[in-house]
Formats: sequence, C-alpha cells, structure tokens
Amino acid sequence: MKKTKNTIIEIIIFMCGTLSVIFVVSIFIFLLKESLGFFREYNILKFITGRNWYPDSNEPSFGIFPMVIGSFLVTFGACIIAVPIGVMAALYISEIAPKYVHDILKFLVELMATIPSVVIGLIGMCTIVPFVKNFFNIPTGLTAFSGSIMLAFMVMPTIVTISEDAIHSVPWKYREGALALGATKWQAIRRIVLKEARPGIIAAIMLGIGRLIGETMAVMMITGNSASIPKSIFSPVRTMTATIAAEMGEVVKCDIHYKALFAVGLVLFIITFIVNFIADFFLGKNK
Amino acid sequence: MVNKIKVKNLSCYYNKQCVLNSLNINILQHEILSIIGPANSGKTTFLRTLNRMNDLNVNYSRKGEIYLDNNNIFFMNMESLRKRIGMLFEMPIPLPMSIYDNIVYAPKLLNIVSNKSDQDAMVEKVLKNVSLWNEVKDRLNSSAMKISGGQQQRLCIARILAINPEVILFDEPCSGLDPISTAKVEESMIRLKQKYTIVLVTNNVKQASRVSDKTAFFLMGKLIEINETGKLFISPQKKQTGDYITGRFG
Repeated sequence: MKKTKNTIIEIIIFMCGTLSVIFVVSIFIFLLKESLGFFREYNILKFITGRNWYPDSNEPSFGIFPMVIGSFLVTFGACIIAVPIGVMAALYISEIAPKYVHDILKFLVELMATIPSVVIGLIGMCTIVPFVKNFFNIPTGLTAFSGSIMLAFMVMPTIVTISEDAIHSVPWKYREGALALGATKWQAIRRIVLKEARPGIIAAIMLGIGRLIGETMAVMMITGNSASIPKSIFSPVRTMTATIAAEMGEVVKCDIHYKALFAVGLVLFIITFIVNFIADFFLGKNK
Repeated sequence: MVNKIKVKNLSCYYNKQCVLNSLNINILQHEILSIIGPANSGKTTFLRTLNRMNDLNVNYSRKGEIYLDNNNIFFMNMESLRKRIGMLFEMPIPLPMSIYDNIVYAPKLLNIVSNKSDQDAMVEKVLKNVSLWNEVKDRLNSSAMKISGGQQQRLCIARILAINPEVILFDEPCSGLDPISTAKVEESMIRLKQKYTIVLVTNNVKQASRVSDKTAFFLMGKLIEINETGKLFISPQKKQTGDYITGRFG
C-alpha cells in the first residue's frame, strides 16, 4: 500500500517536471515550424538585413533590421541607466544599510518588481514622455530614450535583488580578513566583495537584459512605434515585441505576414535564450 | 621590559550579557602571552577587542580602556590600529586572489610599497620568514585558495608581516592543522617574538606551554590567573587553573 502510494506520487512529480520541459520544447517547435514556412517564401537574409517593414503593400517586404536596432537601442539605454544604480543600490542594501533599513528596502524593491508593465507604461506616458519632449525640445516625446528610462525602472528590481543575493553570499570572513589587514570598509568592498560577487552581478544584469528584450507593453506605449532605423536615441523606435503585439490581431491566419511575425518571435526567442544562457553560465560560476 | 598593551577594567557584553568581566592585563613588549581557557571564557572576545574587530558586531558593547604604547585604542583610527595590531584567525582566510596578491594587497592599500621590485622583494622576505618561500616560489601567481590549510595559515602570517605591525594576535591558529603544520606555525611564532609582541589564544594547553612566555587562564569571562608560563604550569596558584591544565575539566 505504502509502496503504491510512493510510486503514484513519484509519477505525478515526474510528470510535472517533464511537463515544463515539454511546454518549452513545443513552443520552440511551433515557432520553428511557422518560421520555416516563412523562410521558404521569403529570403532569410533579406528578412534579417532588410530595412523596410511593409507587410501590407502590394510588394510586401519584411525587413526586421530597424526593429532589431530598436530593441537593442532601448535595451542598451535602459542598461546604462539601471545597471550602475541597481548595483550601487544592492551594495548599499547589503553592505551599508542597518538591519531594519535593509529589510524595508529589500521588501520595497521586491514589491517594485510586481508592478504590471502596462501600469509602468501608463505612468511613463503621462510623465516621462511630455518631460522628454519639453526638456530636449523635440517634436515628440515618444522616443527610445523615454522607453529606456521606463524600462530601467522596470528592470531595477531584478538587478538589485539578484546582485544583493550575490553580494550577501560573499563569506563574511573575507571582509574580516581584509579589515584585519587595515583595509577600510570601502577598500574591502571594492577589492574583495565586489570581485567575489562579480559573476552573480553579471548574471543579474544578463537576466535583466533578458527581461528587457522581451518586454512588450511599456515599450509599445512609449517608444513611438516607428519602424525605421533610428537616427539617435531621441528618435521614435519600434521593437520586435511591439511589432508582434501590434500586428498579430490584424493578420490573416497562415498568411505570409502571420508567419513573418512568428519568425520575429523566433529571433526574439534566440536572443533571450542566449542572454539567459550567459546568465546561467555566470550563476553556475558563482557556486 | 616595557608595557606594550595595558588593559584597564575591560568589560565586554553581547546583548547586555557580560562575557568579559573587569579585566586587567599588562602585556610586555616582545613577549608571547598565551590565553587558555574553556569555551565561552571570553578569550576570543578579548582578542577581537584588542584590534577592534568586534566593533563590527552591532550586539557588542564594552566598558574600560586599552592602551597601546599609552594611547587609548578606542580613540584611534580603526584602520591604523589594525595596521599596528595584526590578527590571524582560527581558520586561514586567504583572500580570493593569488598568493602574491594576498601579500601585497594590504601594503598597496597602505602605500607601504610602490614599485614592482620592492613588492617582489617584500613577498620573498615575508614568505621566507614563515618558511613558505620554497614551497610556493614557483606558483606565486596561482590562487591562494589552492594551497593546503597549513600553507594558507602561514601565508596569512606572512600577509600580516608584510604590513609590519607591532603586535600580532593569534586566534587558535592551529586548531584546524595537522601536527607538522602546527609545529611550523609555532616555529614561526617563536621566531617572530624577536620583533613583535604576540598574544595567542589557544585551546591547546600544551601549545601554550611550548611557545609562550606568559600564560593567562580565563574562565567564564574572568581572568583567574596570569603568570610566567613555567610557573603557571608547574605550580598554579588557583585550584581551577590546576584542574584545567591537568585536564580534569574543559
């Protein structure tokens, strides 16, 4: 009796475990299938390097190059803002803040991660967008720059919490060892703690980037959705995710446009996969 | 002989609980004072108070004074105090970097050495001082985490010598080491006595009798007895001391 119960539970757990793998693999296969259908009709090189995205014209062209640039520009801008602030915040929370401040800040940062991205987009639309327009005196505030600012807010909790964990897991004895040699607190942090926590911090940044590239709602609302190669960070851009989200509702199923969107999805999937793979590599190194 | 360290009425507390009770000790220059006693007798607390490592602990508080060459250490800058009073921990703590960098880490921070040739000379000198040079001279740039425990502990001593302190505190430095490594560490200690003042906390009563000039016996946060090592081991004045060193308790 006990044995059968054991076996049943084992089978259930095994099924749950494999299910998640099956989901991921089948999503990938589905993406691949639709994309391959697209690449049979449309040259893959033209798809990746093409500069025009005119899916509805008589002679449709599907060049995602402007969108790739758009995605990278927004992501890159967000990183430049979020990484230094995020890592410093993690350092403060973990090394400098007194216990009760540490607890409060950690809780608040984790709370920040739960804000839905559409809310962030909404707030961005009524605050950042007009601000950027007036401050830089440009025709529209719907730019890559505004998107970067909002995304930086969104990704900060990921970077802060994971970096904080990495910094916190540096053994206390290393700090003592350095301090006992006459190092100041800052010297111990810079040369020992930060150095040891580096793989974890890099992993935090990579996971953040993964989240940024896949983000849809906020960028769609803020970045202006113009599918042309941006001249600067103050031009409107369109990201890969926004393209899929905006156009998926209007395409005819099994049309070439429909398949093209899946191909965009495949490109996104591959990028996030690589980024997460790098993050995993560094996280593994930390242990 | 001059008094190097004077401890006056020192009491230490963790969360208001007293772990060291009005301690008075004088430590002479160039002597090895060993502190023995069972667990929870306040030995390590005393040591960590001497270089103010315990100031990092928020639950810790203290009363009383400690003078280093007649200067109250509690009014001194913490970093410069720790440069003058080096400390060796119970477990070797090599910093996560190469053997070479472990030694030059602190001197570089404190601007003791500047150019590369001075650094090389210093690394060689301090490693020879702890008889480690021959064992590691071919792999100075490999990680300090990869050498054996005994070697790590001697590297840590070398690292302290590199900042040229006046006093070195040893906190049960051999508790994790085999007898041969222990003998090597003890050998270094006796050699170091010429230049430095040493305070050794040990759980090993025999070690205290082998290396130290003076021995203090702590029990439950109180100094029970302090005397020259020979006298304390041959004719202890207090019954508890005798019981402890002959192994009847502790």
